[in-house]
Amino acid sequence: MKQSWGEKAFYGVNYFILSLAALSCLLPLIHLVALSLSSGEAITLGKVGLWPVDPTWEAYRKLIQGTDIMNALRNSLVITVVGTALNMAFTVLAAYPLAKKHFYARRGLTLAIVFTMLFTAGLIPNYMLAKELGLVNTYGALWLPGLVSAYNMLILRSFFENIPEELEEAARIDGCGEWRIIGQIVLPLSLPAIATVSLFYGVNHWNSFFNVLMYINDSTKFNLSVLVQNMIQSQSLLAEMAMLDPEAFTQLTPESIKSAGVLVMVVPMLLVYPFLQKYFVKGALIGSIKG
Amino acid sequence: MGKASADGGAVLRNGSLLRRRRWNQNKPLLVMFLPVAAFFLLFKYAPMLGLAIAFKDYNFADGIWGSPWVGFANYEYLFNNPKTLNIIRNTLVLSALTVFVGFPFPVVLAILLNEVRRAWFKKWVQTLVFLPHFLNWVIVGGLVLMVFALESGFVNNALHALTGQKFPFLFHETSWIAIFVGSGIWKGAGWAAIIYLAALTSIDPSLYEAANMDGANKWKQLWNITIPGIQPTIVLMFILNIGNVMDVGFDQVYVLQNPVVVNVGEVISTWNFKVGLGAGQFSNATAMGLFESLIGLVLVLTVNQIARKFGRGLW
Repeated sequence: MKQSWGEKAFYGVNYFILSLAALSCLLPLIHLVALSLSSGEAITLGKVGLWPVDPTWEAYRKLIQGTDIMNALRNSLVITVVGTALNMAFTVLAAYPLAKKHFYARRGLTLAIVFTMLFTAGLIPNYMLAKELGLVNTYGALWLPGLVSAYNMLILRSFFENIPEELEEAARIDGCGEWRIIGQIVLPLSLPAIATVSLFYGVNHWNSFFNVLMYINDSTKFNLSVLVQNMIQSQSLLAEMAMLDPEAFTQLTPESIKSAGVLVMVVPMLLVYPFLQKYFVKGALIGSIKG
Repeated sequence: MGKASADGGAVLRNGSLLRRRRWNQNKPLLVMFLPVAAFFLLFKYAPMLGLAIAFKDYNFADGIWGSPWVGFANYEYLFNNPKTLNIIRNTLVLSALTVFVGFPFPVVLAILLNEVRRAWFKKWVQTLVFLPHFLNWVIVGGLVLMVFALESGFVNNALHALTGQKFPFLFHETSWIAIFVGSGIWKGAGWAAIIYLAALTSIDPSLYEAANMDGANKWKQLWNITIPGIQPTIVLMFILNIGNVMDVGFDQVYVLQNPVVVNVGEVISTWNFKVGLGAGQFSNATAMGLFESLIGLVLVLTVNQIARKFGRGLW
């Protein structure tokens, strides 16, 4: 069909606005890369835009040598992997029974769980409980209080509900117990949902900040978020590094090290993001429409 | 033969057998659910008992149950103290701005994306605008601080080149609030657009064809087909967002805050963290937290009632 003048204008403007929106998400990250690879002098003079000026790896070298970032990276990985595995186990255990129509307590228990989405005891009572249980300063405080997210449980439950009952009936007649039905029929059929929910939990653990700030005092147990946030906020660390090695530091400014630190946190996310994209859109929809 | 099986059916239907069958089906499910129930009781419901210290003068020596009851004294303190009133106001202002100013962005984004005919372009834009949702506030905060920094920030460098002057964006109350709201939109708009994109795909394409035949231009089609088509979703999302007005979150405020803008930038969650955990004023912080949770609960319940009128309640 031939486009009218007005339509051409509309499409032109549309593509322009969307390009701006997309670039606004991309360019700050590229700017960050450029900062992290540029010399201190160039940053101070404001010459760095989207391309590194006087490229140098010095910021990354200093970051690895002068800070706990490698340890924090390891901590982030441990928190994420163990946490997500625990989350998935418990979320399946919650969602499977609640997806069964013949389960006695289905409605009451679902309501009791949804209520915890709407009303929480708040910071202090939760902290006191963790303290009572001896969880403060252990990763248990990051894993246990959030074992099941009601929201993710609802996503998984609606997937389970859509698995045809006949499949399970057939397996039962063939002599499968409930556990084998879950392991060999329900879970393999719900792989998209499992991937989505794991991604949500994983991203959450990788990004966790407030909980670490609240429950972990031992700086060797900090994850990337807290370490990098401390780096961003404090000049003292960088001043200290400058004292230790004034020679190397003249080439750097705090900005380059900060941006290198932020990138260490972003890159792993960017690596998994493209692979999981097809799953999470679906998950987001189910989670937001059904209750 | 036929008679026998009919009798068998009657026996099965007559109650006790059926009940036993249902019990047998339920047993493994109950066993499965047990650890989950323990989790919810211990980590979600038990702390609610701890809310008692909102009405006590808590001290470490006597513990939660030994400390003396003080009735609403903690609330009298909170509501008579100009500083805490200011904090409640800040919480409401920042989250209301986030909800109301931020609301149209995902709708517009989804409509624009829906009009794109080139699949590769659409896919790229989507991939990029969803991305910030997965970055945490430490990253976004770091980006904001570096882009808007006074000395070597990108924006101030550009401003300096153009006008010869710099502006302290992060240390000026109005611009700080604008940056706060803007960064929230930047992080969340793409993700929030997903639901509108889904709603848009359910609009019947023949409506557009018919409109085209009748000579309606793009603008008219948008106004008369697209918007009405997703209106129920817009209304529902708007109502649900209002339910979150009390919840401005901790991370965003914490990473963007600085001492200069504390007058508009301190909110309940950050105050609780500093006063409760930092300074050990457990009773006051718990009282404030309970106030926040209760208002939030009332808002969500009210809003759900309204959403039900549109046939789209959450439960």
